[in-house]
Amino acid sequence: MKDIVMEKDQKKVFAKFNDLALGRRDITKHSSKDLPKYSYAVNEFVSVFHPSQMEVVVTKIVEENENTKSFWIKREDGESMPPFQAGSYITLEVHTNGRIYKRPYTISSDTDSLKEYRITIQEEKNGIVSHYMCYDCKENDKFTVYGPFGHFHYSMIRDSSDIICLAGGSGITGVRSMIFDLLKSKKVSSIALVYGTKTVNDILWKKEFDELAKKNKNFKVTYLLSEEKRDDYPYGLMDEELLRSLNLEGKTFFVSGPVAMYQALNEIFIKLDIPNKFIRHEEFRDPLETDEEEIYELTIHQKGNVTVIPCKSSETLVQSMEEGRFSAPVHCTVGVCGYCRSKLLSGTVKTDTSALRKKDVDLKYIHPCVTYPLSDVEIELP
Amino acid sequence: MEKFDCIVIGAGNGGLVSALTLQKKGKKVLILEKGLAPGGLATSFRRGRFEFDVRTHELCGYGGVGNNGEIDSLFERLGIDSKIEMMQAQETFHVIDKLTKDEYTMPVGVDHFIEKMEEYVPGSRDAMTTFFGLCEDIKDALSYLHSEKGTIDEKDLYQKFPNFVQLAPYKVDAVLEKIKMPKKAIEILSTYWVYFGSAIDDVSFVHYASIVYSYVLYGPAIPKYTSHELSRALENEFKSAGGTIYYLSEVEKIDVEDGEVTGVQTKDQTFATSHVIANLSPKVVYGKMIQKENVPVENCQLENERILGAREITVYLGLNASLEDIGLHHSTYFLSNNLNSKVEYKKMQEVFHGNVVGFVPNVINAKASPDGTCILTLTSLIFGDGFDKLVSKENYFDVKEQFGDYLIRCFEETTGISIRKYIEEIEIATPLTFARYTGHPSGAIYGYMAKGYDNLLPRIFSEEEETRIKGLRFCGGFGSRLSDFSSTYLNGEDVAMKTLGE
Repeated sequence: MKDIVMEKDQKKVFAKFNDLALGRRDITKHSSKDLPKYSYAVNEFVSVFHPSQMEVVVTKIVEENENTKSFWIKREDGESMPPFQAGSYITLEVHTNGRIYKRPYTISSDTDSLKEYRITIQEEKNGIVSHYMCYDCKENDKFTVYGPFGHFHYSMIRDSSDIICLAGGSGITGVRSMIFDLLKSKKVSSIALVYGTKTVNDILWKKEFDELAKKNKNFKVTYLLSEEKRDDYPYGLMDEELLRSLNLEGKTFFVSGPVAMYQALNEIFIKLDIPNKFIRHEEFRDPLETDEEEIYELTIHQKGNVTVIPCKSSETLVQSMEEGRFSAPVHCTVGVCGYCRSKLLSGTVKTDTSALRKKDVDLKYIHPCVTYPLSDVEIELP
Repeated sequence: MEKFDCIVIGAGNGGLVSALTLQKKGKKVLILEKGLAPGGLATSFRRGRFEFDVRTHELCGYGGVGNNGEIDSLFERLGIDSKIEMMQAQETFHVIDKLTKDEYTMPVGVDHFIEKMEEYVPGSRDAMTTFFGLCEDIKDALSYLHSEKGTIDEKDLYQKFPNFVQLAPYKVDAVLEKIKMPKKAIEILSTYWVYFGSAIDDVSFVHYASIVYSYVLYGPAIPKYTSHELSRALENEFKSAGGTIYYLSEVEKIDVEDGEVTGVQTKDQTFATSHVIANLSPKVVYGKMIQKENVPVENCQLENERILGAREITVYLGLNASLEDIGLHHSTYFLSNNLNSKVEYKKMQEVFHGNVVGFVPNVINAKASPDGTCILTLTSLIFGDGFDKLVSKENYFDVKEQFGDYLIRCFEETTGISIRKYIEEIEIATPLTFARYTGHPSGAIYGYMAKGYDNLLPRIFSEEEETRIKGLRFCGGFGSRLSDFSSTYLNGEDVAMKTLGE
């Protein structure tokens, strides 16, 4: 390689070369001696949008119907709630029976009112937390909540401007928030809501939806009852005929409801050849169908500590941790958010790996919130 | 209280390599990571049936069988080379000049690169040959510098590497003009500048040449299962060697007594150690992790002078059609308003500036997404504070979508390829997203701006002098080798060796 000469005078060559370090020393001589600034506008935004956790107080409880209640919560520190996208959920931490439970609940209030959030909880059969909330929770009770989280949102870039919302039971909560948000912001041209419940008394916010439909020509609502026959309401489940009647070509579906509804709808979507792109659904967990109930041992490694607790074949590892009074990092409980992701060190399990990274599936990582033990199990929690 | 030989704060590329290197040398090492996954920015995430790499993880200097680059050699030393699958790109980049509609596709390999440049810019061959010759000189000099422990004698260095000492103080443009590189060739050769997060006329020739050389000589390479594969491999190797890593463990305090590191505290744990390697910004470490009276004034002064590097907005698109159906043929698209990088940098002070880098992993790795689909990520750098001024609590989600929409439109208009109708999954990351997951000031992901006395060589030459708290060193993108992926891996090893030397 030939020599390139930028500077002929060798003294100057060395002077310039040495200045690379010396100049750096000189340039900082006169600068401020204060501790460096480490937090900027963007970092402040992060703490507004994604607080690590919030202490909240219940300001109002509204009985929506005989087995559903709404809870208005606000932050104890007086700050407003984080801005959220309609369809987001928070994780509520409930202390009862000497145990700690974390459950996700979709925010059902409006995106533009951040003084308080509303979550709406329907009492579930054998639901410890929903039972506690519907019977024992009083105004002024305090909770820790995490979030908001989730990806069940409308996107102007991805989704059609004509959307169809299919909501079943308490799955209406996030959809309600979405419909009000989208109509107010005029982001969509039309919304058709099909809202299925068991009986007419189960319909939440009927008056609100009816008024909205009256005021907005581009919003239509159809109620569908599955366990009560009445002349003034259609009867049955969401089926192919109903979907076809919605003029579905090129429209985006937002689906939120019980697991059985997703399963039934998915079959119809496949039959109708509707591409994935047009189907958005709230995350859910496939239930385990089993009669057996074996008791195994769950060994948990976390930050150098080892804990051994019993676990049941009919319960997820996270449920066993709750029962075993082991505080687990959990947010979504449906195997999506990744917060509980753990390495399976030994044992066999039944699990859902669909939301894991490909490499992590190979390396035997699992989401304990959707994992059922089939033997003694040993895992490493984050 | 448990005692460790060294505690590494942050499991980013630099932190993982530092920790693994020390653990392999028989030291007892603990990594404390505030997040849930290894790798820092070298990680991936899932949406629907797609897995997206958070950042384009094109490693320069890999090379692979028969053409071992620096990174491949490093991975061999670390024992992970047989545990990862790397895929080699067949071209370095494809650049489109929006102004003239001219397109240039540059191949891998020095000779091919020179030939192609001659085709585009007749008469450039001699200057290009000189350029790559200088690159080689610089590469040799840099490896010598990185391996040298003691003080550097400039006269001795001049004997060994005259070109290096001559060129070291100069910026990219000064040297390229000196070797009579034709203007058009300078423009094409400068294309990679956006990967540096600093303006080309601020970047030192030595730094630029060393990176470009690695890309051209070895070709870019990506991990088959996204960068997460690499990060997991490093983590697993570290654990197999007996290392300890705790997640969800944000360090709050580094204890310093009489100018020496004595321990580290998280919210709920305290550890004793005399060595800390911090894989994060010194602004954060000096700003809040060390008690004020123990922070050296000179380090505060230095940090108060340093300017944060570029930030970025990235749109991740999962497309429901194949490359052929959509018409995507290149792995890396550089869409430039103006190939003159100085003009372009000025334009990029605006918020919506139209300079976009598109990356299509499926061109390199057909299995980057399920059959019949492909991934396209669009990235736009942010300079200045336009983004911060634009965003508010009320409009953030809308601004995000507005950016996404804009970048997609830029891509479609410049390439003539329609992508919008194929979008099955979309995610958009802003500086806020990067700040959330990394904790970096302002969401800066290119470390500090490579500018003036904060360029590569001033950093390397001043590293020892600036290590004023005994036992505290920095690695990663804010470290002395600057911020690209390959540099952070290499820097991790350098810092570990220096710590070992103490």
